[in-house]
Amino acid sequence: MAAVKQTVEHVASLEKYKHGFVTEIEQDFAPKGLSEDTVRFISAKKDEPAWMLQWRLEAYERWLAMEEPTWAKVSFPRIDYQDSYYYAAPKTKEGPKSLDEVDPDILETYKKLGIPLREQEVLAGVVGSPKYAVDAVFDSVSVVTTFKKELAQAGVIFCSMSEAIREHPELVKQYLGSVVPVSDNYFACLNAAVFSDGSFVYVPPGVRCPMELSTYFRINAENSGQFERTLIIADKGAYVSYLEGCTAPMRDENQLHAAVVELVALDDAEIKYSTVQNWYPGDPETGKGGIYNFVTKRADCRGDRSKVSWTQVETGSAITWKYPSCVLRGEGSSGEFYSIAITNGRQQADTGTKMIHLGANTRSRIISKGISAGKSSNTYRGLVSAHPKAKGARNFTQCDSLLIGKHCAAHTVPYIEARNGQAVFEHEATTTRLSEDQLFYARQRGLSQEEAVQLLVNGFVKDVLQELPMEFAVEAQKLVAISLEGSVG
Amino acid sequence: MSVAAAIKARDAAALPGKRDEDWRWTDLRGLIRAVPEPSAAFDGELGPGPFDALAGEVVTIVNGRDAVHITVEPAQSRTVALRIVSRGSGAHAARISIDVEVGGRLILLESYEGDEGGYLSQTGLVFSLGEGASMERIVLAADGAEGVSVSQAEVTLAAGAAFAQTTLTTGARRQRLETTVAHPGGHAELRLDGVYLLSGKRHADLTTVVTHAGVDGVTAQLTKGVVRDQARGVFQGRIVVAEGADRTDARMGHHALILSDRAEVDARPELLIHADDVSCAHGNTVGALDEDALFYARQRGIPEAEARALLTEAFVGEVADRIAHEAARDVVRAWAAERLRG
Repeated sequence: MAAVKQTVEHVASLEKYKHGFVTEIEQDFAPKGLSEDTVRFISAKKDEPAWMLQWRLEAYERWLAMEEPTWAKVSFPRIDYQDSYYYAAPKTKEGPKSLDEVDPDILETYKKLGIPLREQEVLAGVVGSPKYAVDAVFDSVSVVTTFKKELAQAGVIFCSMSEAIREHPELVKQYLGSVVPVSDNYFACLNAAVFSDGSFVYVPPGVRCPMELSTYFRINAENSGQFERTLIIADKGAYVSYLEGCTAPMRDENQLHAAVVELVALDDAEIKYSTVQNWYPGDPETGKGGIYNFVTKRADCRGDRSKVSWTQVETGSAITWKYPSCVLRGEGSSGEFYSIAITNGRQQADTGTKMIHLGANTRSRIISKGISAGKSSNTYRGLVSAHPKAKGARNFTQCDSLLIGKHCAAHTVPYIEARNGQAVFEHEATTTRLSEDQLFYARQRGLSQEEAVQLLVNGFVKDVLQELPMEFAVEAQKLVAISLEGSVG
Repeated sequence: MSVAAAIKARDAAALPGKRDEDWRWTDLRGLIRAVPEPSAAFDGELGPGPFDALAGEVVTIVNGRDAVHITVEPAQSRTVALRIVSRGSGAHAARISIDVEVGGRLILLESYEGDEGGYLSQTGLVFSLGEGASMERIVLAADGAEGVSVSQAEVTLAAGAAFAQTTLTTGARRQRLETTVAHPGGHAELRLDGVYLLSGKRHADLTTVVTHAGVDGVTAQLTKGVVRDQARGVFQGRIVVAEGADRTDARMGHHALILSDRAEVDARPELLIHADDVSCAHGNTVGALDEDALFYARQRGIPEAEARALLTEAFVGEVADRIAHEAARDVVRAWAAERLRG
C-alpha cells in the first residue's frame, strides 16, 4: 500500500531526528504528517506517563502494517495521512471575528434550532467567545462547579481522558483498549496512536449518576474532536446516561474524524449513550469539504444482567461510517440500538450495529430508520450473531428506509449468524417512499407540502426519537426537518 | 476467477473463499487443498431419476461430460427432466444453456444426484426467456455427504416473461446453489423459492441475486430451512433495484428452524435500492420449533416425535404449495417428507 510505504519511508528519513521533536514542547502543534515522532510529540505535549507513550507507539507500529478497509458502500478520494496535522488542529487560520462573518446558512440553522446568541458564537468559533459551552448555555461558571460538586459527592469520575491518564491510571490501564483492541481496525488503530482527548467516566458500584453527562459540559472540550477517545465504565449496579454531540452544526477544520468510544458495563449496570451528530455535510452539489466520520463504538456488557442502549441521530458529515455495537457477554445482558440516519445532498452513510450474543439469555433490539434524499446514499449494515453458548438469545431487528427523490439510494445489508438451536432471531426490513395517500391527506388538511413531509417523516422516526432524553428529542425533531429542507420539490 | 475456471486450471488457490464477501459462509478455498483429477467417464448403471415419470424427455449429464443446449421454439410447450450426476472423486464442470423463445413454455425438472465420492462439481446454467415466455424450474439436489457441489444459474428475462423456481436440497460436504436473475421489469414476474433440509455435517448455501432494471417488476421469494445435528444452512438473497426501476415490488422471506444445539444458520437478506417509487421488504426469522404449537399437538394426543414431524412438514410445506406444476409438487412433497422423517 502506497500510503503505508510512504509513511515507512518517512519514518526512516526521520530516524536521524529521533530526539528532535520530543524536547520542543513549546510548539503548539505537531508538524504535519504522521510518524513515530508525531506520536511521541503528542504524548509529550500531553505530559503522559511512559506506559501511555508505549501504548501509543505499539499502536502506531501496528497501524503501519494495516490496510485501509474498502468494503463499505461509500466512496471518497484516498486519504493522504501525511497531509494532515495530528495534534492541536492548525490554529494558523483564525476563526471569524464576529457572527457577521459566519456563513449565513449556518446562522439560519441556529435560528431555527432556537440557539441563544452567545452560544451561537461559541459554536461558530468566533474569536474571543467563551471557551466552554457551558458558560454560554448557562452564563455562569457556577454551573460547572455545582455539577462538579454534585458528581464528586456521588463518587462519579467525569473528566477528560488526559486528566484520567494522570489522575486515575489504574482505571485507564485496566479498561482502555479492553473493548476496542488497539488493532481492531484501521481507524481505531490510528486513533490509539494519535488520539487527542475525550471523555472518561467512571460510575462506582450502586451509584445512579445524578445527571445526564454531556460532552457539552466537559471542560477542555475544545480541540478534542478529531481523534476523540471516550471510555465509560459503569461498575456493578451503576447507571449513567451520556449525551454526545450537539444538534447545532459545529465549525470544524478537520476533515477526518476517527473517534473510538468504549463502554464497559459490569453486573447489573446500565449505560445509555445518545449521540446527535450534525457535522458539516459538505457542499450539497459536489459534496466537497464535508467531514468524514469514521468512528468505532463498542460496548462490552461484561456483567450479568447489564444493559447498554445506543441511540443515535445522524444527520451530518459527508461520510458516516460507524457501527455502535454490543458484545453481550454477561448472562442475561441486553443491548439496544436505536438509530435515525438522514442523508441529503451528496452525503453517504454506512451505519448500523453489531449485536454479538455470547452469554445465555441475552437479548437485543435494533430499530433503524434511514432516510435518503437528494443524491445521497444510506446503508444499514448490521450483524446479529449467537454463539453456541448463547442459549435463549433473542433479537428483534427492524430496519425501515424511506426514499425521497429519484436519485437517492437506500441499502439494507443485515448479517444473521445463529449458532445454536435455542436462539430466536427476527428481522424485518422495508424500503418505501412517502405514501402519496398520506401526503394528500395532510395537504388536504391545509398543510404545505414541506410541512406535510415533515409531519410524515417525524412519524416515521418517532420510535427512535422517543428513546432520546427529552431536551435532546425536541431539538432532534427540529433537526430532522432542517436536514431534509430543499429535498421536497 | 470463477469456480469453473479454477477447476479447469486445477488451481485450488483460485477458488472463492471466506475472504470473498459473497462466499464468507461457503469457504471453498479453505476446504479444498488441491483440485482433484478430472473425473473419469462413467459407464455404469445410473438407476432412475426422481422425475423420469413426469417428463417427456430426460437429459442426463454424468461427471460434466457433454455441453447441453435446449431450445424451446416459440409457443411450444415442453417438460424436460435434467439429471446432473456426479460419480467418484474427481473434479468436473458442466455447461447447460436453455432458450425459451417468444411465448414458449418450459417445465424444467432438475436433479443433482451424487454418490459417496469426494467429487468437486460445478454446473453452469444459462437460461434466456423471450417475451411472454414462461419457465418453471424445480430442483431436487441430493448430493453425497462427501461431495462439493456448486450450481450457478444465470437467468435473463424479456419483458412479460415469467420465471418461477423452487429449489430443495439436502446439502453436501459443501454446496452452493446460486441463481442470478436480470429482471427487466415490464410486467415480468419472478418467483424464487428454496428449501434446505440438513443433517449430519452437511452444508448448503442458497444464494440469489435479482437485479431489477426496468419499471413494474415483481419478485417474490420464500426460502425455508430446517437444520439439525451439526449442519449449516446459508441463505444470501440480494435484491437490487436500479435507478429508474420504479414501481418495483419485491418481497423476500427467509425462515429457518434450528433443531439441535450445534447446528448453524447464517443469513444475509440484502436490499440495494436506487429508485424511490418502490415497495421492497424482507423478513428473516431463525429459531426453534414453536413450543406452544408442540404442546397443543401433544395435548391432542399426538406423540412428540409425530408432532415435531408434523410441524416441520407444515413449515416446509408452504414452499412446496407454491409450485404450479401439480405432479411435480407431489414429488417434491414426498421427497421432503421422506427426508424430514428419515
